[in-house]
Order: sequence, then C-alpha cells, then structure tokens
Amino acid sequence: MSFVIEASGLGKQYGRRWALRDCALAIPAGRVVGLVGPNGAGKTTLLHLAVGLLAPTSGSIRVLGASPADGPAQLGRVGFVAQDTPVYTRLSVARHLRMGAWLNPGWDREIAESRIEQLGLDPRQRAGTLSGGQRAQLALTLAIAKRPECLILDEPVASLDPLARRDFLSSLMEIVAAQGLSVVLTSHLVADLERVCDYLVVLVASKVQVAGEVSELLSSHHRLSGARRDASSLPANQEVIEESHTDRQSTFLVRTSDPVHDPAWTVRPVTLDDLVIAYMSRPANPERTHRPQLKVTS
Amino acid sequence: MIRFTWLQFRVQAGVALAALFAFAAVLMVTGPHLASLYNASRITGCRGGSCVNAASGFLSRVDATSPYTLMYTLGIGLILAAPVITGIFWGAPLIARELETGTCRLAWTQGITRTRWLVVKLALTGLAAMAVTEALSLMYTWWADPIARAIGHGGTISSIQFTGPFGLVAFATHGIAPLGYAAFAFTLGTATGALIRRTVPAMAVTLAIFAAVQVAVPLWVRPHLLPPDQTVVSGPSFFQAASMSVGTLTATTVPGQPEAWILSSGPINAAGQPVTTAPAACLGPPPATGKGAPANLGACMASRGIREAITYQPLSRYWPFQRIETGIFLALALALAGCCFWRLGRRRT
Repeated sequence: MSFVIEASGLGKQYGRRWALRDCALAIPAGRVVGLVGPNGAGKTTLLHLAVGLLAPTSGSIRVLGASPADGPAQLGRVGFVAQDTPVYTRLSVARHLRMGAWLNPGWDREIAESRIEQLGLDPRQRAGTLSGGQRAQLALTLAIAKRPECLILDEPVASLDPLARRDFLSSLMEIVAAQGLSVVLTSHLVADLERVCDYLVVLVASKVQVAGEVSELLSSHHRLSGARRDASSLPANQEVIEESHTDRQSTFLVRTSDPVHDPAWTVRPVTLDDLVIAYMSRPANPERTHRPQLKVTS
Repeated sequence: MIRFTWLQFRVQAGVALAALFAFAAVLMVTGPHLASLYNASRITGCRGGSCVNAASGFLSRVDATSPYTLMYTLGIGLILAAPVITGIFWGAPLIARELETGTCRLAWTQGITRTRWLVVKLALTGLAAMAVTEALSLMYTWWADPIARAIGHGGTISSIQFTGPFGLVAFATHGIAPLGYAAFAFTLGTATGALIRRTVPAMAVTLAIFAAVQVAVPLWVRPHLLPPDQTVVSGPSFFQAASMSVGTLTATTVPGQPEAWILSSGPINAAGQPVTTAPAACLGPPPATGKGAPANLGACMASRGIREAITYQPLSRYWPFQRIETGIFLALALALAGCCFWRLGRRRT
C-alpha cells in the first residue's frame, strides 16, 4: 500500500509551544481523505509540513514517498489550497493562470481555461473582487492545473456560504473522478466530509484517534443502549469509544468488527458526526481494555 | 519566475520609469541651454584670478535668469531620496506583503523552490532600484557639469552651498556611491519586512535605520576609511589668504591640495601645542570696515611662530573613498539579503 502522507515522531515547535508533537500517521493514496479534529489539533501545521511550507522540528514526514518541497519536481507533485484560499488581489484571473503556467512545468492550460470558463469567471476580473466561492474555485484551479499527484486542501470551504460550499465540493468530486488523484482535506464540517470523503482521520492533540474507510468505520461502530451497566462488563471485542449513563440507563458507542447479539441492548447505527464527536471528546490516552473503575468514596 | 516577478513589479516599475523619463526630459531640455550659458561666459580659456570672476559672474547670471540653481538643489535632493524611496516602497512590501496577506502560501507551493523565488525577486527588484538611483545620479552629473566646473574654478554663489567633491551631499550623490545606498536601502527594506512581517511598520523602521546610517557613516565612518594626510602650513600668506576662517582659526583649503577634504585643522604654536585663540595683540582694534581680519593678523601670527596644522584627505583619494564606501554598502546589502534567506528558511516560518 502506498501512502500520500507518512509521518513518524513528527513535531513542529514555535518558540516554546508545540503546534504538533510526536505525530505518527499514514494516509493511504488513491483516496479522498478527510482530516478532522478540534481547533489546535495541529491540522494546519501537519498540512503545511506536508506541502513543505514548514520543516519539521523533529521526526520525519514523507509525501508520495519523498521529502516535502524537496526541489521543484516534488513541489509539482503536490497541489495545495491554503486556508482562506489566498490569491493576489490585484492580479486578474487570467494573470493568475499565467502565473501558474510560468511557475509550474507540468501546467495544463486546457484544464485551467476550461475550468474558468465553466465557472463563468471573467478572466479580466481582478481576484480581489471575486466572491469567496469564486476565489476558492480559482485557488482550486491553480492547484489542479499543475497536474499534481495529490491535492491537499486546508479548510477550503470554511468561509463559504452553503451554496458555494456545495459547488466547491462538487467541483472537487468531478476533479477526483476525472484525474484520479489522492486528496487530503481538512474541515470542521463533518457533513461536508461525509459527502466527499471515503477515508477519515480524526486528529486530536497531534494524535490519530481513529483512521479508516468511512464505510468501514460506520459499519463497525454501534450505539448500544440498555439497562445501566459498567463499561468493563462489555465483551473484550467491543471497544468503548464513548459512554454515558443515567440512573437506570447506559449508552455506549462501541467499535467492534463482530455483530452485537446481546439481546439486552438496543443497537443503533451511528452517523459520521456521532463518530467524529465521540473520538474528538475521547481522552487523548485512553486505556483500551481494562479501565479503572470509578469508586465512590464516602 | 522572472516573468512573474515582472508581473507583480510592473506597476512600481512603470511609476519609476515615468519619473525617470520626466526627470530626463527636463534635464535634456534645459541642459543644452545651461551649457550654452557656460560657453558664452568667459570661463573657457580664462587665466588666474579672472577665472574666479568669470565663474562667479556665470553663476550669478544663471541664478538671476533661470531656475537652474533651484534645479541643482532639487536634483541633489531627489538623488538622496531615491534609495530610501525604493527601499520603502519596493523593499519593505516585497516579502512582508506576501506574509501579511498569506499569498506566500500560494507562491511557495508552486513548482519552484522558495530559494529561487527569493533570489529572482531580490535580484530583479534590487537591481532595478540600483539602476534607478544611479541613472538619476548620472543624468544629473551630466546636466550639472557647467555649474560644477564654475564652482571648481572658484566661483561662488549664495544659493548653492558647495563644499567640494568630498562634501556630505556631493559625495553621496555622485560617482558610484548612490549604487551602494540603493542596494543597501532596498535590502534593508526587504529584510525588515521579512523580520517584522508587516508592511507599514517595516517601512517606518527602514526609513529610521536608513536615515540613521546616512548620518552616522559620513560623520563617524567615512573619515576613518583611509588614514589621512597631515600638513603644517606657516607663513603670513596662509593666514592672510582666504584659506581660513578667522573666527575659528580653521583652514578652509589646503595649500597645493585643491578640493581636499579637511578633517580637522587648527593653529599650533612654535612648540607644537594647539592655540585656541589668536593672541590678543594680533587681533588689535576691530577693523573699520567691519569685515575680515585685521590686515596684520597673518603677519602678526606668523611672527609669533604660529602655524596651521591640517589633517586632510587629498582629492586624489576621491575614487578610492567612493569604491570603499560603495563596497561597504554592497556588503551590507548582501548580508541583509542573506538575512532574508535565513528568515524565510522553512524552519522559521
């Protein structure tokens, strides 16, 4: 299996603060990968390390099997759409395309121009006067017309209205279908990720909480509810991700590859949103099997 | 990258070219007239003392009938300002604006390395800044040549303060020194922009540092670039000639060394000790005319064994001084450019 991004012991320090620390992950190639996590989890830092805007303080990261930004060839293999989709406000759309053509040896003029036409953008319009959605589309055009092997997007739709967001994501889907490239994108909005991603990585405080194919994640997680009982009483093959208790009732979100047959439970499927929130709110270093029992001391 | 740099730079380059062309047009139109006034004066082929009169006559005629003496002063101001203007408006935003607006994340993820991006940006814009300043200086030197020659012949005029090629302003606006200042100011702007990461504060800091350096270098650095010559002048003729200012007893010219740069001068007595004031006996009653020194001051001082000690740099060192100072500023510019590369290193952004 080949990987888009492979990191081990990866860390980035700003002054005394670690934006990312001891991060290990392997994101498979050929997927559309959603990277989610709370603010400050290190998502942007991770992506900046992947595209070579930053160099790691410790550890290593490899993108498409090579060191990021290691010369023009590697830069050309990775397309990047940065957060807030920066463009040169005073340059026109056409000049942005010309910039792309000048700076990228693998530039595909046809892709770029047909996309601009398809989007209905006026090539003479200054990028500063574009709407947020149009600007994001321009940034996406620049990133894909260089014919990258993988596309990395940092919160591309965060500042867009729902319509622009939908348009952007369907553009992205079209590109993936047409060019067959690997995509890694971050977003706060799980609903957006659900629409486009087939692989999910939940990153909390530099650590991967869960990673896997979306369909597999959804089929292996269940919400169990029934009479109150302790998490330790669950079978060993059911990993508790989240639990909540009332006086009489317990609800668990468990991960298991086996079907749940216990008749005491009401078993319901989980949504991706449930799953992401469960993993994001999970303690960073959970005890996997035997968690210590809470004892009431009086 | 060269084409992209041009694409981003073309507006500023256009403004600079328009300014250069306007400046050139004014000089081209007025230059021949100024030269014809010079040719019509009797300076060419003059001898001895008549030269000073002819030169002063030419200068006052120019002053009375044309705006050329004003242009002479304004031109100098423009050449002095050009480096710091390019430093502020070209240098400071070069990196700072990319960092400020986040477009660096777009630029540095295209298919060229960040080093190449910076090399091309610095080289192209920096060379343009140097070319603009030096072009201004060269055009101006050509245009002002008649005035400079008249001054060289000893002509004086109240509206122009000219203290020889080593004068603070003259040295900084002629020769190759403007090249060094332009390179320094531009890279200073770029480096402060890279360090502060905000355009407007970087502009202010650039202006402040450049102004401080332009004051500090001629005052405290330039005099020490080469060891000075020293001479001791004696005799009534020196004290009587217009070669010293009476009030401070300092020399204004060095005998036999026209247009030398006087670093320090003062009278010393027969024992070699500095004399701070002229002996009271020599000053005598104030002259009736109220102008100049008593006629006998020179003879009186000479008879008491008082001589004038002068520390100076001869005119023959003008180009060595120009080369050394330009070299220093070019070296500073290189160091500042290196600072930009260091600051934009991927470990530090």
